[in-house]
Amino acid sequence: MSIVFSKENLKLSRDLQALTGENAMLCYQCKKCTLGCPSAYAMRMKPHELMRALQLGLAEEVYWSGTIWICLSCETCNTRCPQDINILRVIDGLREMSKEFEYYNPYPVIPSLHRIFMAFVERFGKVYELGLALLINLRMLTPFKDIDMAAPMLLKGKLKPLPHMSHGAKELRQVMAKIRKLEGAK
Amino acid sequence: MMRFAYFPGCSLSSSGYDYHLSLKYVTKALGIDLVEVKDWVCCGASSAHATSHLLSIALPVLNLSHAEKEGLDQLIAPCLACLSRFKAANVELEHDADLKEKIHQVFDYKYQGKVKVYHPLEVFLEMGLDKIRQRIRKSLKGLKVACYYGCVLTRPPKIAQFDNVEDPQSMDSIVRTLGAETIDWSFKTECCGVSMTLTRSDMVLKLSNDVLREAKEGGANAIAVACPLCQANLDGRQGQIEETYKTRYGIPILYFTQLMGLAFGAYPRELGIQKLITSPRDVLGSIGLM
Repeated sequence: MSIVFSKENLKLSRDLQALTGENAMLCYQCKKCTLGCPSAYAMRMKPHELMRALQLGLAEEVYWSGTIWICLSCETCNTRCPQDINILRVIDGLREMSKEFEYYNPYPVIPSLHRIFMAFVERFGKVYELGLALLINLRMLTPFKDIDMAAPMLLKGKLKPLPHMSHGAKELRQVMAKIRKLEGAK
Repeated sequence: MMRFAYFPGCSLSSSGYDYHLSLKYVTKALGIDLVEVKDWVCCGASSAHATSHLLSIALPVLNLSHAEKEGLDQLIAPCLACLSRFKAANVELEHDADLKEKIHQVFDYKYQGKVKVYHPLEVFLEMGLDKIRQRIRKSLKGLKVACYYGCVLTRPPKIAQFDNVEDPQSMDSIVRTLGAETIDWSFKTECCGVSMTLTRSDMVLKLSNDVLREAKEGGANAIAVACPLCQANLDGRQGQIEETYKTRYGIPILYFTQLMGLAFGAYPRELGIQKLITSPRDVLGSIGLM
């Protein structure tokens, strides 16, 4: 693939730096992030390749690879990066910016899970584990997935059949509404 | 009596209830008073920081302010997902004035950053191993334990500020104090993949299988964990893993607090041991504990 490099290409990394404070240009491709990454084997674009793509401003390739959603947020890359780049923060920034690239996402289920998770938190103040599993299973069109895992957990009282409401839920809803307003304003 | 604010988090009130029971038992035995944070809400875990950075800081701050308002300046968060979000909130607020400004716009109460956040391991270690040794009624001699620390207990060091980042020893030293043997293995801080447990179960099976296999090859007959998410994965999915990789592990996954409770002479029931999916009956029976 040949890339014609222009000022335009710098936009992605600059936007990202404005959002997260992390400078992708510092990466010199030592590959420590990829070598330590537990999910690199499942990524089409490895973490060090992601950093390179950011330097080159290849937004579509980055989002098309789905790497940002395969990341498990385990923080190994951050810990080992010799340039002290917070790679997880970079990936989280890309996730925050992903709305306009939703069309490219090969794993749309994963951001769906985050949305359902946060919707439960907003409603009850806590996660409702069984509800979360049921909804995401429906979303993936595999309603009975993991039933062999859930059944003994239900029997042993490890999964609660009904959601539990936190007393702080109301305050939490106000906080989330304020944050939405604040973020919409910028 | 030492007083700590206690943030159980969503997991400890459902799938990790046995962790809650055993932690309560052990802290009581060691003279630690746990005061549950009033009206606590979810910390947002990995879903909040994937959607909005500000939200991922605001949720822990909401809980920390509740503790601060009640005059508690130390907080115990036993779940690693909560722990790492709380610690990150404290560190980032300290170093990022813009973020602090934004957070103060969201809340009426101005959080001062006075609440220090700990994992139970840190608290127990600070109290000293002697204090634990004095409480022991039954030795766990005969157990060979692989201590599994999980992803974010020590990572990243700037935020966790605890133990050796790649080869932690805190849990090993506690488990050895109880009389058990600990194995030396290289998967202590590998990730079990839990954030993908519902969406990419194939990855979780592979990563958790790696952990179980390494522990077994290292000669362990039990794994000790310090996080309800690791436990749910390694224990709850062990059957699926055995089926997928055509192997047999049968390794019980116990919370380190359950091991401490057993050594302190508690009945297994008091520690929620009957709730484990992979039965520890054989292993604990072989050393006369069940």
